[in-house]
Amino acid sequence: MTEPAAAPPLLQLHDVSRALAGRAVLRALALELHRGEVLGLLGVNGAGKSTSLRVIAGVLAPDSGSVRLDGTDLYDAPERARRGIGYLPERAPLHAELSVSEYLGFCARLRGLDRAAARTAVAREIARCDLGEVQRRLVGQLSKGFQQRVGLAQALLHAPALVVLDEPASGLDPVQAVRMRELVRGLREQQGVILSTHQLAEAQAACDRVAILHGGRLCHIGAPDADLEARFLRIAAGAAEAA
Amino acid sequence: MSAAWLIARHDLRRMAVSVWPWALAAATLALLAYYFLLSLDGFLQLAPKLAGHADAPGVTDLVAVPVLRTLANLFLLLIPLLGMRAIAGERRAHSLVLLLGAGIGDAPIVLGKWLALWLYALALIALALAMPLSLAAGTTLDVGKLAAAGLGLALQAGALAALAVYASSLSDQPAFAAAIAVALNLLLTVIDAGARLQGVGNGLINYLALPTHLEPFFRGIVASVDALYFALLALLALGLATRRLGALRSLG
Repeated sequence: MTEPAAAPPLLQLHDVSRALAGRAVLRALALELHRGEVLGLLGVNGAGKSTSLRVIAGVLAPDSGSVRLDGTDLYDAPERARRGIGYLPERAPLHAELSVSEYLGFCARLRGLDRAAARTAVAREIARCDLGEVQRRLVGQLSKGFQQRVGLAQALLHAPALVVLDEPASGLDPVQAVRMRELVRGLREQQGVILSTHQLAEAQAACDRVAILHGGRLCHIGAPDADLEARFLRIAAGAAEAA
Repeated sequence: MSAAWLIARHDLRRMAVSVWPWALAAATLALLAYYFLLSLDGFLQLAPKLAGHADAPGVTDLVAVPVLRTLANLFLLLIPLLGMRAIAGERRAHSLVLLLGAGIGDAPIVLGKWLALWLYALALIALALAMPLSLAAGTTLDVGKLAAAGLGLALQAGALAALAVYASSLSDQPAFAAAIAVALNLLLTVIDAGARLQGVGNGLINYLALPTHLEPFFRGIVASVDALYFALLALLALGLATRRLGALRSLG
């Protein structure tokens, strides 16, 4: 009897390198992510987490290497590929002068949804991200926690295959952080999620696998087991010594 | 709905709920109204003297066209001030990534930004035209000349809007983007001043100057060469802005 073929990875990074302002920020980074999985990128400041996510989201081209989404090179067919990605950057890309529902409506149409589908998607994400009570308020007048949730909602509107979240719990109070974690865990039922964090607890609670980056290199990847903290501290200490 | 049109509509909506575009429009229209009333008063005082001349200039030449010419001059400052946020403002607010990551390409983003700015300018032109057109109730206007002037203004506004969007793509500081756009506009306005002082009126340097192509419209002359100049200027600026957006994606 033959074994069933393993499902191809949803996301595949192969030898991705990128320099910014003359400094190598990513060095031959290789990663894979499967559907139904939450992968956390863990690292100290400047480890290359945000740059990795920007490359994966298609908003920053790599200098070399390839990023494949569902087998298609992201930078060969960038416009089509980006439609399969939902991206929440470290600072949510918001239009402060609009109401939450108006802003989300625009985001949905921008991702190619027609008017009716956009309305449905906005209602769905407002419910999922608990934005009902603020949907008519101006985005700029919301608290940081609500703004972050609006940012998450815009990333999910078009039901992307891959959700890319840069520090999704950054600036949130503990209750909001737990709620955000639950939301992220809920996403993996239908999507692959890759997120960055520098909080060990968040990585352990929200992720199926954790990749530790340092100096733009992948230093470790695996399940967030009991050794994660020690391993992370060892890598960070190594970084400090090297510095 | 195309992505460019979607972005244009969205930007117009954002303008509609912001103070800045309303304040600029109010200031511009107040200035134009003041100038219109001054011109009208001057014309009424001059009218008895002009009555005896067969080919004397009329109300269109002495009131309507000067008002529109004033708007053309105001556009040199107004459009950069309004367009400075088109891309620079998005970068500053960290919201450009929303457009860059949407899978719509760079050209529709630039086109949408330009279209919103141009439509705003067209609305101002329509309001400015309403002032001289209000005189139609009591006098006879040269509607053809007014239409030509309106077309010239619309074409100039399109080119200036494209330059403003390009300038806005060069910096993440809106004020700096506005300064670049104003400098470009002024350069295009005075680029042939030296040549004109030397009596040269038909050289390449004259062709490059904005007034060379705008003035015929104000005289009621619609020439394809002038329309083409504005179209080429707009296309060049929009092309450069698109390239710049692509470079931003590559440069990070």
